[in-house]
Amino acid sequence: MLRKYWKAATLLGVVLVSLLISQVEGSFNQYIFQIVIYAGINIILAVSLNLINGHTGQFSLGHAGFMAIGAYTAAVLTRDVVGSWGMWIGFPVALIGGGLMAAVAGVVVGIPSLRLRGDYLAIVTLGFGEIIRVIIQNLDFVGGARGFAAIPKLTDFFWVFAIVGLVMWSLSNLVKSTYGKGFLAVRDDEIAAEAMGINTTRYKVTAFVTGAFFAGLAGGLYAHYVTYITPTQFSFILSIEHVMMVIVGGMGSNVGVAFAAVLLTVLKELLKLVPDLLWFLPEWLLRILENRMLLFSILLVVIMILRPQGLFGEGDWVRRWWRKLTGRGRKAEATA
Amino acid sequence: MDDLLTVDKLTMRFGGLTAVDSLSFSVPADGLHGLIGPNGAGKTTVFNMITGVYAPTAGDIRFNGSSVVGKKPFQICQTAIARTFQNIRLCPTLTVFENIQIAQVKNLDYGFFTATTHAGRFRRDEERVAAETFEILDLFNLRRVAHEKATQLAYGDQRRVEIVRALATKPKLLLLDEPAAGMNPVEKQELMELIKEVKERFNVAILLIEHDMKVVMGICEHIVVLDHGAKIAAGPPAAIQADPAVIEAYLGEATH
Repeated sequence: MLRKYWKAATLLGVVLVSLLISQVEGSFNQYIFQIVIYAGINIILAVSLNLINGHTGQFSLGHAGFMAIGAYTAAVLTRDVVGSWGMWIGFPVALIGGGLMAAVAGVVVGIPSLRLRGDYLAIVTLGFGEIIRVIIQNLDFVGGARGFAAIPKLTDFFWVFAIVGLVMWSLSNLVKSTYGKGFLAVRDDEIAAEAMGINTTRYKVTAFVTGAFFAGLAGGLYAHYVTYITPTQFSFILSIEHVMMVIVGGMGSNVGVAFAAVLLTVLKELLKLVPDLLWFLPEWLLRILENRMLLFSILLVVIMILRPQGLFGEGDWVRRWWRKLTGRGRKAEATA
Repeated sequence: MDDLLTVDKLTMRFGGLTAVDSLSFSVPADGLHGLIGPNGAGKTTVFNMITGVYAPTAGDIRFNGSSVVGKKPFQICQTAIARTFQNIRLCPTLTVFENIQIAQVKNLDYGFFTATTHAGRFRRDEERVAAETFEILDLFNLRRVAHEKATQLAYGDQRRVEIVRALATKPKLLLLDEPAAGMNPVEKQELMELIKEVKERFNVAILLIEHDMKVVMGICEHIVVLDHGAKIAAGPPAAIQADPAVIEAYLGEATH
């Protein structure tokens, strides 16, 4: 009985603990707290992108675009429609509205993915992200290039981590089910998957729509946390960061990708401290180290050389260690 | 006609090349038929048309009384035609178990939302899938490797897994594309036993492409010979072996 519901129970636990923490969040160090919130938002983005890039094998570079749609839609909804409905009704409605708008965009991007693969799909999705940014820049009712200001600060620890729990729970469930094995089959061998009766078209669009929906939620959370969004925040560099989280974490491992999202978020902040910590290094070297994207790129290259499958990729050490510790896994499955 | 599969004047042209030229044959519901011919005769093209990978230029393919021309490969699989591939196409990152599991996706009772929540019918359906998968793995003595990566198995085992995966879709017609390719004589012997057993146990019609004459002559009841896309002979193995047109296609014209 307990084993049957432990996952749902974990989700409930995460939600309750988030709620408790959100009640006392004023007493935390605000700088560190901000990093925690960003880490949570990045987990949502990275894990949802993992469904598209990692599990379904469709290389998308458009996640910032989905996030932007979610952010702006949620911000507009809060300003014009649900603003007076309060945090417990209005905010979720705004978030879901943002997610749904992003999901619609997911259909639009998913359709070219039926004809394109690999590099070509990457370019189309990259173009999509840029188009979204340019469109927003030219929409006056959302502030255009000046940005969208004075969004109420509704995002707190509870909303971020309840949705983190939701995305981890639902997407892990998904890829573990027989239904979800279809995504992996599409990635591994599309022709074989199709010949085995899997509607590969539907699977690809489903992956895009689901990934986009959660990216839209993350966008809404982000908008209601920073309270001021501009189109330039959702540039393609942001999409690259999400892809990096997926690659570093290990394509197809949700836990690994979530871990990498936290790691890279924290690392990004730590790198700001590098000049202070490594004061003894020569000035010119510090100048180079200050450039975070440079260090990020080096990190990515090092990981690609040492662990091309990502930290938690194929044959990951955490799972082996866990199996050894609990005695669950292979043997239990084989006799099930 | 009560045949399970009827191919009627099937033609496929790639630009100026006629790969398959007005080919007609049929396979009854309990048939074990062979499709042979020299390299480039158009055998795999015929398979690709039957399974919807290519749309034929002309002609018709009827399965169970209705035409399958114009259907997508996954829809054709759902009408109970399954196939294997000339170059084994197993999913490399999936285990043997998972490779068989994906053949069951089309038979699931539940959809996307149940998959994300594991609620409702989920557990019952998953248990059914697991039971059926283990059952079929047991039949082929593959349970011991159920959790190995499929592409790490020995070559002969990979071929078997691919046949098992095709059977797991519950077909009425099984298309085998060169199942004996790359096998040694012992494995070939085992394969012949396997194919006969599959036909009996699963009650499927089988159409196979094969270059190995021992295998073809040993198990097929009826053979269609293709050369340059056209049917040059058809009949039981003994008649095919003696047919001068077949000998000519394979060995060249006899000089006097």
